[in-house]
Amino acid sequence: MSAAAPVAVRRRGGRRRGGAALPVGIVLLVLLPLILMPLAAIFVFAFRGGAADFVKVLSSPEAQFALRFSLLIAFATAAINAILGTYTAYVLSRYRFRGERPLGILVNLPVAIPTVVVGTSLLLLWGPIGLLGRWLVPLGLQPMFAPAGVLLAHLFVTFPYMLGAVKPVLDEIEGTYEEAAYTIGANRWQTFRWVILPALRGGLFSGVLLTFAHSLGEFGATVLVSGNLRLKTQTAPLYIFAQFEAGNVAAANAVAAVLATLSFFIFFFLLRYTARRGR
Amino acid sequence: MSITVENVTKRYADQTTVDRVSLEVKTGELFVLLGASGSGKSTLLRMVAGLVLPDEGTIHIAGRDVTYLAPQQRDVGFVFQNYSIFRHMTVARNIEFGLRIRGVRKAERRERGEELLDLVGLGGLGNRYESQLSGGQQQRVALARALAYKPGVLLLDEPFGALDVKIRAQLRQSLKEIQKALGVTTILVTHDQEEAFELGHRIGVVDRGRLLEVDAPDRLYERPRSLYVATFLGAGTVLVGRCRDHRVALGPLTLPIPPDVPHDEGDRVRVLIRPEQVALNAVEPARNIPTLGRGQIVDETFSGAVRRTRVRLPSLEGVRQVSPPLPFGEENVLLDVAVAAHSEPPRENPWVVLEAWHILRQPTPRLLVCDEGAGLAPALELARPLAEAIDGVVTVLGVAADTRRQDALRDALAARVAEAGLPDATVRVRRGDPAEQIAAEQREAPYDFVIVGAGEVESRWGRRQLPRLGEQLVERIATPLILARGRPRKPERVLICTAVGEPGKADIRAGGWLARRLGARATLLHAARPGRAANPIARTHLERGVATLRELEVESRFSVREAETPIEAILAELRDDPHDIVVVGAAPPNARGFLRGDQVTRQVLRQSGVSVLVVPQGSW
Repeated sequence: MSAAAPVAVRRRGGRRRGGAALPVGIVLLVLLPLILMPLAAIFVFAFRGGAADFVKVLSSPEAQFALRFSLLIAFATAAINAILGTYTAYVLSRYRFRGERPLGILVNLPVAIPTVVVGTSLLLLWGPIGLLGRWLVPLGLQPMFAPAGVLLAHLFVTFPYMLGAVKPVLDEIEGTYEEAAYTIGANRWQTFRWVILPALRGGLFSGVLLTFAHSLGEFGATVLVSGNLRLKTQTAPLYIFAQFEAGNVAAANAVAAVLATLSFFIFFFLLRYTARRGR
Repeated sequence: MSITVENVTKRYADQTTVDRVSLEVKTGELFVLLGASGSGKSTLLRMVAGLVLPDEGTIHIAGRDVTYLAPQQRDVGFVFQNYSIFRHMTVARNIEFGLRIRGVRKAERRERGEELLDLVGLGGLGNRYESQLSGGQQQRVALARALAYKPGVLLLDEPFGALDVKIRAQLRQSLKEIQKALGVTTILVTHDQEEAFELGHRIGVVDRGRLLEVDAPDRLYERPRSLYVATFLGAGTVLVGRCRDHRVALGPLTLPIPPDVPHDEGDRVRVLIRPEQVALNAVEPARNIPTLGRGQIVDETFSGAVRRTRVRLPSLEGVRQVSPPLPFGEENVLLDVAVAAHSEPPRENPWVVLEAWHILRQPTPRLLVCDEGAGLAPALELARPLAEAIDGVVTVLGVAADTRRQDALRDALAARVAEAGLPDATVRVRRGDPAEQIAAEQREAPYDFVIVGAGEVESRWGRRQLPRLGEQLVERIATPLILARGRPRKPERVLICTAVGEPGKADIRAGGWLARRLGARATLLHAARPGRAANPIARTHLERGVATLRELEVESRFSVREAETPIEAILAELRDDPHDIVVVGAAPPNARGFLRGDQVTRQVLRQSGVSVLVVPQGSW
């Protein structure tokens, strides 16, 4: 035994009590200008002209459209990717096949690609002179600079979030879980519906929230594929950007404040939910 | 409902996990599959459930062929080792799941659920979740869930593996009662022999994918046929003695060999002695009581009802102990004895008395015959007289170059096997390089002899390739290998070359054994350098060899030839006096590079022109 016995030996991962003022102070000092003050600034500027002004700016048709369109796209993206992502996760987790690893990397790629690049690539594919787009023009179809294009971009960009939330949960469900259902007599669909899906609830929930939040704030890809058309394809982040550019700071801030609040609530639920699961 | 498994095989990559298992479980029976971990017993169970599809063979449940049916259509209940209780469902919903799937009405479901909860002793716990149950309770839920929809067959995969001893005993008891009450045909897989004894109406012992023996627990314990079952089930000592005049000699004692155990004079016979079959006496027993002499107590362990005592016996001439393995340096037999704990055994060199014993069956020799499905078939032709002579089981192996040719080869082999007069032979087809695949087959299911064709055959394995295949096999397998050449008939003369592959008498013993079984005459050939024929060491060696052959009751003579090299001596002997088969030794397959002896082996393979038996060192 060492001679330094009087010094209390902390276990690894043990927490220290007391003496917290300095380190906590440093963290706050860093976070204040980095995160907290910018957030506060939005609300300060948003309400500079008073509550009446705030409401007035928000109720302009453009602002209304942008917010509604953003929410609609976010809902649609979350719903579609919930299905696509879960199915992909199921396939990746349950089947062993040639090219499994490359596919696993491929489906996570959208996280790594800058969103502006995603926008560009979509334009090159679906745009009027794009690889596929040029065949659609004669048919009167034009996904780019239209709501469909925005949805496509959001699906692309947020795809990995659903996968990342669901696949680990699926991986953790042991294979005998499904086998048990099969021997009991459940077919594949029944097994998925009654045995797998309920076990995935947590992962699905956080995946949907993450997807929704990211879709709500998506900018880089959207600005390219939407054409930023007022009252047609302008999402809330695009509206904020456009109003700022036009020197209309109050309008930009009002919508920004709403977006920030929404995001805050989503994350609040997400944190609460994961904390409850973790216990 | 009965379960019939016929000739089922399952391979994973190159490993045969389940190897030609046939099994019949009667309606209402509780059958236990017992084996060490990795023996393939769980895979077999999963094939019955439909969770794994067999590569070969068929499975019938209640007379219906279910071999390729999905698990949902088999009407089975399965209990997993990890229980796999659905976490998000209550206990009641777990149990009712099978009924819900089958569209049973809610009221009826509820009623059946309650019934089952009571049956497994969990009444009132229906609203709990998995996380609120103990391991034993989870196991009971899993059982109730598997029984809810009244399946015809109940399958349990190590159901009590993860539980502590006391809970295990309770659960075993309830399972026994429930199974009896419902009369459901059940297969239970376990590695725990106590569990197998307590539960099984019959037990099947599985080792390395093969079902070794099936019998009632008491019969399996008292009269096992194989060494593996004898030592896997319960304690006991297995001694090997020589057969003399239909009795096995264990030192001073000879025990009669029952007529239903086939044996030959001079055979090594294995005797199983259970600890409770031995008594320690303070005074010398009467002459007609089987006694192994005076022993010496070397170890004692108290274990409740009995005192496990280990006794060292005086050296017994010609007796070898095969189980339990002796500690290094121990030369005498160590016998395990169970003495009732309340009685005090005599301490001073007690007399060791056998009250009962059991003589194990001689293992059936297994022949692997390699045939390529076309051209002449020297291996098949030699296999028939050999199989008859040694009373062996024959497996015919073909190796196809690719998948496309596999089925065609299988059909061709079946036809050739019938033509060669080997109707009971099993046909196997593998894919890949012949030498590699033959070696792999031998590794997976050990054979006593491997026979391949060689010599003047117009075929792919034939004239051009066969000496090479033979050489490759000598390098790869540690089993006696026979290269059949020409149009072999039943061998009548065997030439055993002793100077080849020294040291080791394996070739003399193997050749002698074969000669005896074939009723053939043997010639023991010693090749000496010119002028060294009278070498006293060689003389002694030859005399020993002749003695070995005499012991085996083989008619033999010896011949000493002077020549520059052994192969010249062998060829000269064959020229002067034709033999049907030449026996040579070989270094074990893992010895790298050709040793001196193997050089001769190779020459004999290439030049002798008759069939050759190559006996690797230590293989006999």
